[in-house]
Amino acid sequence: MSASDLLRAGTAEDRVDGEVPPQVAEPDSPEQFAAALKYASEAKLPTVIRGGGTKLAWGRPPSTVDLVVSTARLARLIAHRHGDLTATVQAGMRLRDFNAALRAERQWLPVDSAFADATIGGIVATNDSGPSRHRNGTPRDLVIGITLALTDGRLVKAGGTVVKNVAGYDLGKLVSGSHGTLAGIVDVTFKLVPIPPASATLVAHYKDAAALTRDVSALDASQIEPAAFDVRMSDEAAPFQLKLRIATSPAARDAQIAAARGLVSGEATVLTDMAESAAWAAQIDAPWRGDAAVRFSWLPSRLPQVLALLTEIQHSGAVSVTFVGRVLGAGLARLSGEVAAVAAAVQRLRASGDVGNVILLRGSRALKQAVDVWGPPRSSDTVLRALKQMFDPAGILNAGRGPI
Amino acid sequence: MTAAEALAEWSTSDWSANRLSQRGQGVGDSRSRNGLDDRDAIVGNVNVKSVAAVIEAKAHAAQCTIAFVTEQVVNELRSICGDAAVLREPVQLMTYECDALPHLRETPAVVVLPSSAAEVQRVVQLCSSSGVPFVARGHGTGLSGGALPVPGGVVISLARLNRVLDVDIPNRRVTVEPGVTNLEITRQVAPFGYYYAPDPSSQQVCSIGGNVAENSGGAHCLKYGFTVHHVLEVEAVMPDGELVRIGSSLPDAPGPDLLGLLIGSEGTLAVVTKVVVRILRKPEMVQTLLAAYNSTSDAGAAVSEIIAAGIVPAAVEMMDALAIRAAEAAVHPNFPPADTVLIVELDGPVAEVRELFATVEGICRRTGSTVVEVAQNDEQRMRIWRGRKAAFAAMGRVSPNYYVQDGVVPRTKLPEVLGRIRALSQRSGLGIGNVFHAGDGNLHPLICYDERIAGQAALAEEVAGEILTYCVEAGGSITGEHGVGADKKEYMPRMFSADDLDAMQQVRDAVDPQRLCNPGKVLPTPRLCGEVPGPYREHPVEQAGLAERF
Repeated sequence: MSASDLLRAGTAEDRVDGEVPPQVAEPDSPEQFAAALKYASEAKLPTVIRGGGTKLAWGRPPSTVDLVVSTARLARLIAHRHGDLTATVQAGMRLRDFNAALRAERQWLPVDSAFADATIGGIVATNDSGPSRHRNGTPRDLVIGITLALTDGRLVKAGGTVVKNVAGYDLGKLVSGSHGTLAGIVDVTFKLVPIPPASATLVAHYKDAAALTRDVSALDASQIEPAAFDVRMSDEAAPFQLKLRIATSPAARDAQIAAARGLVSGEATVLTDMAESAAWAAQIDAPWRGDAAVRFSWLPSRLPQVLALLTEIQHSGAVSVTFVGRVLGAGLARLSGEVAAVAAAVQRLRASGDVGNVILLRGSRALKQAVDVWGPPRSSDTVLRALKQMFDPAGILNAGRGPI
Repeated sequence: MTAAEALAEWSTSDWSANRLSQRGQGVGDSRSRNGLDDRDAIVGNVNVKSVAAVIEAKAHAAQCTIAFVTEQVVNELRSICGDAAVLREPVQLMTYECDALPHLRETPAVVVLPSSAAEVQRVVQLCSSSGVPFVARGHGTGLSGGALPVPGGVVISLARLNRVLDVDIPNRRVTVEPGVTNLEITRQVAPFGYYYAPDPSSQQVCSIGGNVAENSGGAHCLKYGFTVHHVLEVEAVMPDGELVRIGSSLPDAPGPDLLGLLIGSEGTLAVVTKVVVRILRKPEMVQTLLAAYNSTSDAGAAVSEIIAAGIVPAAVEMMDALAIRAAEAAVHPNFPPADTVLIVELDGPVAEVRELFATVEGICRRTGSTVVEVAQNDEQRMRIWRGRKAAFAAMGRVSPNYYVQDGVVPRTKLPEVLGRIRALSQRSGLGIGNVFHAGDGNLHPLICYDERIAGQAALAEEVAGEILTYCVEAGGSITGEHGVGADKKEYMPRMFSADDLDAMQQVRDAVDPQRLCNPGKVLPTPRLCGEVPGPYREHPVEQAGLAERF
């Protein structure tokens, strides 16, 4: 079967940030995936690789998308080696389906997503993460092997199926965060973690930021080992909040929750079971309920300054801010307001010495035209451009949209 | 330069004399030809693959302007780093001929010891503009010949870049130069209750720059991961001499994870001049037990049950009877009499460790452990670890020579692979001690031999290679922590297809188009920069009848 046999016409459902692609390929084998990319490269068709389609609006607005290559038909769990705590999964499988399958052996891939349809490939390509990174890192920390479809039609793999392995270049890391600009992700092998037998979450509310940051420092300096540790700022009556999740054996959970309670000055409640999972789902979802979502990071000790900066933006009156942050120094802010005001807020964050790596993940086309999505150039960009030229010499993959 | 000229130059140069003088002194150059089919072929006195690789590098020179050190280059190195920092005397160069894999040796033309990142940058710029190959070197503790010099090239020792630049306790970050030792980071932060997690057994002397190159792990990486999980940002000189920052000391550097590619690239993509690492709070409690078993498979069953119970210990180590005997002879850890000992360590908050440790203890007893010893204090814990950590060196007590292998199998395949290794030991007549990180399936078979007995060194190396075959067949890896380096590059095709290796070579060429940065490591026999990846075709050197491929 030739690559063109894989194609169908694009529909409104295939839109990439508003653009309907003329052609869509839905390969059902790794070889077809690679063939589709080769076809696109030879024909020089600007191409977007699509998983669940949940983050297609991330990145700069597309000038042209001629082809979407979907991983929808590459959605199989290849192997769950539960005794080895590893699993290999095709890129098009949804994270939630993957984790549902792993749950049979009380294991999971400790990655959170705000999006129900998010796929493994999309999660690795964006290195998207949530509160669970506090203990387990981001997807790049969990990838131990990968198969890639290259634009010259080859399938190549790197890493393997064992956690400890230093043979060869770690291309699985390289494509983490590449936003589909280097190669197609065909399948990924992850190290997994056991689902802890017991968990509980301490939630505390504060009227002022200073009390919150004092408690965060006290908890952070203690011997408590959270599975997740977040802060939140919104425009509610008690606008500041901390959430600390303990996930371990039952007795250890009770001991650590008690210890954490003793260190918290704010009004605290302890959530378990459904209430606990609902609270975290809301936390993960919060930044995505507005027009614009901005990701940024900071040194942990600068949390007071970060909260002050966000409060200042909030008090300017032109932009409403909801902020969800990991205590380790990474967060997302939902910004709502007029385009010019939101753009000014993004610029304000970029100009601050207290935050860095400011990326506009979601925003209207007008907003993305007003501020660059990816921010200022970095000294390593020349190296990345050389790699981009090698992997994608025709420059078709996520052309003009991605970080390189 | 034609291949014939390259060969002529090769055969008359100083470093070829040196190479030939090494022949037969170690197992590396006296390989048996009766073993595995893709080993280097030795014809007469010449190792054909090594020759072909050198010629290829030299033929490559014609296209990619590879040259060797001239007096002018040496003078420029002196003007960059000062006379005292440029070593040329043969006796001085000897120190740099090998890393901790002493059977692979090459003599560089010159060793330079820059004292700042700016000097490193100027040295690399000089190498790049002169087309001279260069190899960065930390403290030389690598076990795969990753710091093996290029004959006639430059070695850049980073030993003088040994400053701790910043200790930031509130943000749990430490910034160091690459020549700082792994343990020095922990020493700096221990008074504040913190430590640096990766703990390779050479941690007292190995450099953090070397750890970055090799993506070093250690006994505790089962729970805490490898160097790649603990390095946030590096400053590095790229092969063209550009000084860049890779990664970010803040989370979430945008774009492809270049840092993740660089860490573990074995010095082939850049020379690191600064490293920002994260440090961890010392766990509230550490508890260690040693369980004695009558068989490795019973001990293996205990490991499986621990993992199945959802417990991720800080470390799970195993030693077999020969390794125990050696350790007892060397450091007297007083292990109970056993066929196999299992060491399990848990760390974390007190309540968690107490609760899970009781479970682990129960599993050990239930799976047939004859004796379970729980360390009651730090002294007892240290005694257990002394026995484990001394195991490699201790083999000298029970065998005149030994060969350390490093391979990985999926944990569940441990009993099967250990069975194959036992059979191999019987078949070859060589004793094989096994010390391994059972939690992650990383084997370190210690193959005993006596080099005074003709053929035994070669047999030992053949046995070591055979064990790697078992690892790959079980779905594992040819190296878990020692790296590929110069030592195992010819084994890479057992794990990776030609396309996989070509893609890796293309990555390397994208970053280092001149192929000057630690050439001859990681990937099998290099291709020419203009050579198109694809199926095998005859090399010009082969066409000229100067070498054959086996």
